[in-house]
Amino acid sequence: MFHNLIFGFQVAFQPDNLLFSALGVLLGTLVGVLPGIGPVGAMALLLPATFGLSPTASLIMLAGIWYGSQYGGSTTSILVNIPGEATSVMTCIDGYQMSRKGRAGPALAMAAWASFIAGTFSIVGLMALAVPLGEQALRFGPPEYFSLMCAGLVLLTFMAQKSFLKAIMMAAVGVLLSTVGLDLISGLPRFTFGMDALIDGISISPMVMGLFGIAEILDSLDDAAQGIVFSGAIGRLYPSVKDWVKAKWSIIRGTVIGFVLGILPGGGAILSTFVAYGVEKKFSKTPEEFGHGAIEGVAGPEASNNAAAESALIPLLSLGIPPNVNMAMLFSALLIHGIQPGPLLIKEHPDIFWGLIASLYVGNILLLVLNLPLVGIWVRVLKIPQKILFPLILLFCLIGAYSINGMIFDVYVMLFFGVIGYLSRKFGYEIAPLVLAFVLGGRLEQSLRQSLLMSEGSFSIFFTSPLSAIALGIAVLLLISNFVPGLKRGRQLYNKAK
Amino acid sequence: MKTLDLTSSLFWLFLSAAAFAGSLHMGIGTVESPGMGFVPAAASGLLGILSLVLLANTIVKKLQDVTADTISTIVGRRSLTVLIGVIIYSILMPNLGYLISTFLLMTYLYWNMEQNGVKGLLRSALYSILTTAASYYLFAVLLNCPFPAGILKF
Repeated sequence: MFHNLIFGFQVAFQPDNLLFSALGVLLGTLVGVLPGIGPVGAMALLLPATFGLSPTASLIMLAGIWYGSQYGGSTTSILVNIPGEATSVMTCIDGYQMSRKGRAGPALAMAAWASFIAGTFSIVGLMALAVPLGEQALRFGPPEYFSLMCAGLVLLTFMAQKSFLKAIMMAAVGVLLSTVGLDLISGLPRFTFGMDALIDGISISPMVMGLFGIAEILDSLDDAAQGIVFSGAIGRLYPSVKDWVKAKWSIIRGTVIGFVLGILPGGGAILSTFVAYGVEKKFSKTPEEFGHGAIEGVAGPEASNNAAAESALIPLLSLGIPPNVNMAMLFSALLIHGIQPGPLLIKEHPDIFWGLIASLYVGNILLLVLNLPLVGIWVRVLKIPQKILFPLILLFCLIGAYSINGMIFDVYVMLFFGVIGYLSRKFGYEIAPLVLAFVLGGRLEQSLRQSLLMSEGSFSIFFTSPLSAIALGIAVLLLISNFVPGLKRGRQLYNKAK
Repeated sequence: MKTLDLTSSLFWLFLSAAAFAGSLHMGIGTVESPGMGFVPAAASGLLGILSLVLLANTIVKKLQDVTADTISTIVGRRSLTVLIGVIIYSILMPNLGYLISTFLLMTYLYWNMEQNGVKGLLRSALYSILTTAASYYLFAVLLNCPFPAGILKF
């Protein structure tokens, strides 16, 4: 492993890879700080720009946007009480209180250090787990993959923040959308409505730009808030020894929680911050300080979200199953470059795998070195008026969609999905299951059809392999656990109505 | 949310029925040899069933809850006007060309965000000229993005 890591560093330190790593983490921090566009929208926007890069450089940059946004999200949480990302919600509670007490500097520095330490340990865990898991995954056949993908999708919908029923509906829509284009086996077009532009299926970039970029902007326009400007002082950028003593165990616990929950499909990183905050409050000798500027309340969640951001790469790199939408974008980037993510990636493309791992180390150091001195710039970025920012983001999305193929059709696709994404938010539907199901849909269909061909039509093939049976069993249990209370509640309401 | 759920469940139900019919038309094959309509039929079938569950839940809940949002109350005026502007832009861009259409769009967007009468319109037009020129230089000149020239050939 050490030999491979050295090889990875040789790849990561190549000038272009280093440049794209720095660019990725800086852009990630920027989108974490800025309202109106998140890491998924930014990754979709930049995906076409990676077509001309090497697969390693494009993956390094896109991954940098993902974990860089975790850093950036904490800046707005601490300074203006607005979480830049969903994973920074818990940081608002104590981070903003520290800021109000004139301790914004130590809060920002602790968030950066906790993220760095957690990120670094999470990479070690990633290396330790991804390789053996990838070796095991080489034995998986179509039934195992089908069951794992089903379990992943059900788990993602299970962790939906809104309605479980609606989340599954969105997953079904995602699978349906993935079938647009040529059928892999017969070679005949499906749901293309005679449009040549749909023969290759719906392009992921304009779709995600619409669902996350355009929809986010439209949604923000409805919000009356016109941006909140940070006016306080940052203070010195060094936590005191007392702060470190208080936060050291919080960082360790946050790292472990984030690493474990980050592997789970769905909102593992978000969930981990809530769990980490709760655990810190429970373990604290002074729980009454929580909510009033406790540094443990910043260190724990920040460590957990960064650990989770990196452990989420494990299922993607070793199994080829993206556990969340951000990983789905990396999955798409690999596919665009003709590389199938999964167990063979480590064997056939060690430069990509180990280069990415090493770039995570490099990126984490870059974030620490660049972000703390640049905090003044991020504060200034926060002061850009929304009346300037939102039209600019819209224009970038329009240009981004058009530049993919130089076709106005991609702009129409983006706007169509922008409307779908906007209305989905308003109607209480989550977009993540749709995107993940869309990305996995092709492989899910292929695995299902191959399995049924192998078994001559017998569904028992999904239960003969222990792994497949366990994965499907988990999926069924999760489904039942959600629908039974729903049925009970429905019956109660009906009886009351009678 | 009840009216919204009712509307959305009916929409998904209609969509799933159409997709299911399309899948049957493509041919779902047999379990031994699934056809190209097999997975679309399964996905649209699942969507249809879940839409019916949502519809039934909504109808039952509606007996309890009289508060209801409608589409007109949740869709903001500004987002709607911006969306219309962007749609018109995407239709006009291939014919008018990047420079003219982007200038018009950005003027409209800045002005829409500012909402400050004629004075605001002039300032928006100024911002728009700068944005259009900068974006053209960055994407068309430096990055060779092939923007449409339009009827005026620039």
